[in-house]
Amino acid sequence: MSYIKSIIVGIWRLMQGMYITMLNFIRPKVTECYPENRGKTEPLGAMRGELVMFHNENNQHQCTACGICQMNCPNGTIQIITKMVPTGEEGKEKKALDKYMYDLGSCAFCSICTISCPQGAIEWSKNFEHATFTSPKLVNQLNRAGSTLMEKEK
Amino acid sequence: MQVINDLLAQLPFATIEQHDKEYTVTVTKEKLRETATLLYSNPHLSFDYLTDIVGMDYGEELGVIYFLSPSRYPSYGLVLKTSTADREKPEIDSIFDLWCAAALYEREVYDFFGIVFTGNPDMRRLFLRQDWNGYPLRKDYDANPALNPVPTSNEALADMENLPTTSIDINGERLKEHTKLFETEDYVVNFGPQHPATHGVLHLRVSLDGETIKKVDPNFGYIHRGIEKMSEAYTYPQILHLTDRLDYLSGTINRHATCLCVEKGLELEVPERAHYIRTIIDELTRIASHLLGWGCMAMDMGSITAFVYGMRDREKIMDIFEETCGGRLMANYSVIGGVMQDIHPNFQKRVKDFIPYMRKMLKEYHLLFTGNPIARGRMDGIGYLSKEHAISLGATGPTGRASGWSNDVRKIEPYAAYRHADFKEMLRTDGLTFDRYIIRLDEVEESLKILEQLIDNIPGGAYAAKTKAIIKLPEGEFRQRVEAARGEFDVYISSRGDKYPYRVKFRSPCMTLVNTLAHIAPGTKVADLIMLGGSLDYVVPCIDR
Amino acid sequence: MFHFSVVTNWIDEFLRAYLPDVWVLLIEYVLIGAVILGVYAVLALVLIYLERKICAFFQCRLGPTRVGPWGLLQSVADMVKILLKELIKINRVDPLLFRLAAFLVIIASICTFGALPFDEGLLVVDFNIGVFYLLAVSSLGVVGILMAGWASNNKYTMIGAMRSGAQLISYELSCGLAMMTIVMLSGSLQLSEIVSQQSETWNIWRGGIPACIAFVIYLIAGHAETNRGPFDLPEAESELTAGYHTEYSGIQFGFFYLAEYLNMFIIAAIATTLFLGGWQPLHISGWDAFNTTMDFIPPVLWFFAKAFACVLLSLWVRWTMPRLRIDQLLKLEWQILMPLALIDILLMALWVIYF
Repeated sequence: MSYIKSIIVGIWRLMQGMYITMLNFIRPKVTECYPENRGKTEPLGAMRGELVMFHNENNQHQCTACGICQMNCPNGTIQIITKMVPTGEEGKEKKALDKYMYDLGSCAFCSICTISCPQGAIEWSKNFEHATFTSPKLVNQLNRAGSTLMEKEK
Repeated sequence: MQVINDLLAQLPFATIEQHDKEYTVTVTKEKLRETATLLYSNPHLSFDYLTDIVGMDYGEELGVIYFLSPSRYPSYGLVLKTSTADREKPEIDSIFDLWCAAALYEREVYDFFGIVFTGNPDMRRLFLRQDWNGYPLRKDYDANPALNPVPTSNEALADMENLPTTSIDINGERLKEHTKLFETEDYVVNFGPQHPATHGVLHLRVSLDGETIKKVDPNFGYIHRGIEKMSEAYTYPQILHLTDRLDYLSGTINRHATCLCVEKGLELEVPERAHYIRTIIDELTRIASHLLGWGCMAMDMGSITAFVYGMRDREKIMDIFEETCGGRLMANYSVIGGVMQDIHPNFQKRVKDFIPYMRKMLKEYHLLFTGNPIARGRMDGIGYLSKEHAISLGATGPTGRASGWSNDVRKIEPYAAYRHADFKEMLRTDGLTFDRYIIRLDEVEESLKILEQLIDNIPGGAYAAKTKAIIKLPEGEFRQRVEAARGEFDVYISSRGDKYPYRVKFRSPCMTLVNTLAHIAPGTKVADLIMLGGSLDYVVPCIDR
Repeated sequence: MFHFSVVTNWIDEFLRAYLPDVWVLLIEYVLIGAVILGVYAVLALVLIYLERKICAFFQCRLGPTRVGPWGLLQSVADMVKILLKELIKINRVDPLLFRLAAFLVIIASICTFGALPFDEGLLVVDFNIGVFYLLAVSSLGVVGILMAGWASNNKYTMIGAMRSGAQLISYELSCGLAMMTIVMLSGSLQLSEIVSQQSETWNIWRGGIPACIAFVIYLIAGHAETNRGPFDLPEAESELTAGYHTEYSGIQFGFFYLAEYLNMFIIAAIATTLFLGGWQPLHISGWDAFNTTMDFIPPVLWFFAKAFACVLLSLWVRWTMPRLRIDQLLKLEWQILMPLALIDILLMALWVIYF
């Protein structure tokens, strides 16, 4: 008798499982149709897409080329190339940013650079479409051409 | 504690230091086995849980550190240290017959430091190739690539040949003949390193008798990245990004542990807000990990639908992480002194929406899979792991708790905000596959309770304490235990006062789980091996480090 | 009611009017062969698409959406891909058996497919021992599977093939016994005869409880014979990577793939023929208006609708349940299904005598 009962209970349990799958059959689906929903759904909140340098409307950035981010980066992702620019005073030169090279290919997105930057010059963008056909294209210059250091507000 | 003091009084030859609940016992290598036997076989208080074995290169000497703990009083710890001055042919007595877990740990120490454990019948390298030159974690290791060129041939498997062994007979004489893992007439099947059910690049050599398993030999090292070696060249903040990549399913918990360990060394006061946020993130990680574990186990048993449901609900947690932490799998959230950035304004609402949703889904999971007679028929009565065996193997986490071993570090040594939360430690007694399965879903339930209590009570204030620009840990040894999703995760940092650590060791909860698999699988069927692997829920990058 | 016999008879008469008998026979053979192969391939594509879409829906996903509208051309693209793929040469296989295996599996499947009665006049040969033929031919496939597993020189395939042998030979029994139950009810082994007997009431109603039990047994055993669902041990992708066809590539793998899907349909079609009235429309005695409405639907549609309903059931089970273990699988057959089928035959005998 208990044998028959166990069979009936077993069949009932199987039916419950099939009820759950049928429930999901009619539920709205969770698939993200990625290239179609471009622009409709954004990456959320603090999502780390790639490193960018903040520029204001006058094409000025805040990077003083101090090199702390380069030193802190565990993977050698950041390379800062400096140049000497003349200051306002006669005959004096100051170190300034020439190229801020960022190798996306070796970036681990650990965010040490952004939190260690004393100027807050670099930040994360939400761009996540990084694919390129060759790896050298992953190395980007973050400061825009002709950009200069932002004047400190006195 | 009196019992421990009585016990330690029997060790007149040892140097004993006490620091709160942790005892440090230093013995010479000749006395090691005697001490270990005494500690293990004491009837009143047996130090039956070998947490970890850490190899050390002190510069002049090579040392081995054993972390022991009595399973009856889990908050007490004993650190057993020994060392040998012989750098050419270092030999230390093996303790593999006392603790089942020791066999693999000793192989790991041998692999990295070249210390031969006399008596261990299997002294193969654990992670590196058998023909590797040098011992990489020694300080005088020559990293010249010419010594170890990129191999172009397959590694010869040593298990069909004679094992490099150090067996001794009863008189203490080194045995000449070698043991063999498999006989030539055994039907040996490779599961992995590329196999759908090994959860990564794990390599199991399995000898079969028809469908029945005779012996399992796990081979590691296919995803060995040398994280411990890398850590020695990184500053403390830089190490953190590697910890996420150990056990990638409980990455935030590993990172939390490392932060806590460094903060312990710095004696840094972490704001309460950071503690709460870290705890909530940890619990979310645990839920996500258990959901994936549940799904993978169901998939190992052939129910792919359950896997997709698990992934679907885990996605909600990944969204929360993306919004607040910035990463999805590698959340990179905790930093030394707190968390990286404040929580997103939506964070609390999202978590509060998630809790009832998850409860509803758990009910569906039970209807879909737990009650299913086929699933029950598969799981019932298979893969028995007794409590004593679990302790001896060091199978912590849900696996140990399913066998009735109370080992939840969140209860033993409450860290972060766990002392403010009221939750139960899930325990079951049978130690069967079904217990290991159901305990994960129960723990999800408990984690939801913790979330419920904490999410509305996040205190205000700073989210991170100020730290110096260059973090230097004072000289000493620091250790932090946390409960990761798969078991106890320990961080051991030995510092010489520099901004780089002298030695970092992560205790991998998964390595013992694979060892457990090798112990409980023989006698079951091939299909059960895969299912047992699912029920133990190991993650291979955590083993290989 | 429109029957396909009209069309086939017309073709026959048309040919006979112009050609001698030998040529007519030859042309008809070629025609039939081409049609069978064509329908076989198209059905396989439809089934693969259906399976992927339905399984996705059970899993809260969308399934194929890229190729064609709603991914309709997905399986066509798959087929093209499989045709273009290289046949990888594997070291130390038995070349003859290795290649033969794939053909054997698909030939067994096509032979069974050819004997299905789709409609009145739309069946190739109306054997007087049709049921027996179906049973005999469909079990040939296991030879191919065993060959594939043995010839591949791989341990996974070997285990898969051994499992498959044990499984198919066991489930063949209760499958056959369940079919015999219906043969007892109909008193005939001829498929057209069995179907035409069901013009008023389908066998599943006519045979009462014994027929219902036989139907359930047949569905379970048939499902097991297709190596799918909870019974996919020979493939068991989480244990044996792909089971007996691990080493196959390109179109050789495609043969196994097609045969698997078509077997699913064949099992459903046999269930339809034997239990659900084949091409006969649904008739309820007394409801004359309803019956005449039902008659307007072409019988071929009836046949496919019923068969696809059975396929859907099989998919639903497949995507809900976990896999059995080998000892449980054999226990289910030898301790539950077979005794039940034997008792059922006895019950059916009593039913036939007394009702």
